[in-house]
Amino acid sequence: MLSTTSCLANVNCREKMPTAMDEEERKLQRLKAAVHYTVGRLCQSIGEDHQKEFSRQVIAAIAETTFRQCDIFAKDLEAFARHAKRSTVSVEDVKLTARRSTALANFIQRKSEEIASANQEQRDTRKKIAGKRKNTEMV
Amino acid sequence: MAESSAEITFKKETVSKLLSSFFKDEKTKVGADAVLLMAEMLHVFVQEAAQRTIKQAEAEDCDRMDIEHFEKILPQLLLDF
Repeated sequence: MLSTTSCLANVNCREKMPTAMDEEERKLQRLKAAVHYTVGRLCQSIGEDHQKEFSRQVIAAIAETTFRQCDIFAKDLEAFARHAKRSTVSVEDVKLTARRSTALANFIQRKSEEIASANQEQRDTRKKIAGKRKNTEMV
Repeated sequence: MAESSAEITFKKETVSKLLSSFFKDEKTKVGADAVLLMAEMLHVFVQEAAQRTIKQAEAEDCDRMDIEHFEKILPQLLLDF
């Protein structure tokens, strides 16, 4: 039997209807957790390369900072797309967010070229497969 | 064999949902290639944060990265991005 005190303490209390805000909050928490997970693995790997260890506090701080940096990136991306009268953020918008550091801008430029050539390879492979099918059908 | 840090990436679904959650206009979307590129941006961001923290700890002759090392490199990290 649920007493009032345990009901207040229990987040999954049946008396409380889940509001839209709770759903938003839960979604945000899941995203934070996903970021924290990847950040943790990355930090562990980089730490191993240097034979040093990151404290849990530092990993949490880097994860939180990364999460907040995403907010800044997202707002910038949205503003750039809107400025170009688009509703879909493009690769050009992403390149703009990397403008502050030349090294970063060059790195992002290289990555965008890799992605573009990977796409082209995929398209060529699909064309080949489609072409082969056509030839077998025509026989 | 431990995976190299280059192989540990943010999932594109996570990046996409993350960015979307911060947009002011719900009509704003992110193109597929843009998502991949943003995943790279975030990867570099975390790598920089981690590596600068390590350098700071090494400069102070510490074996372990603690919060003060991160705090010291944080301002410049944010300015550089």
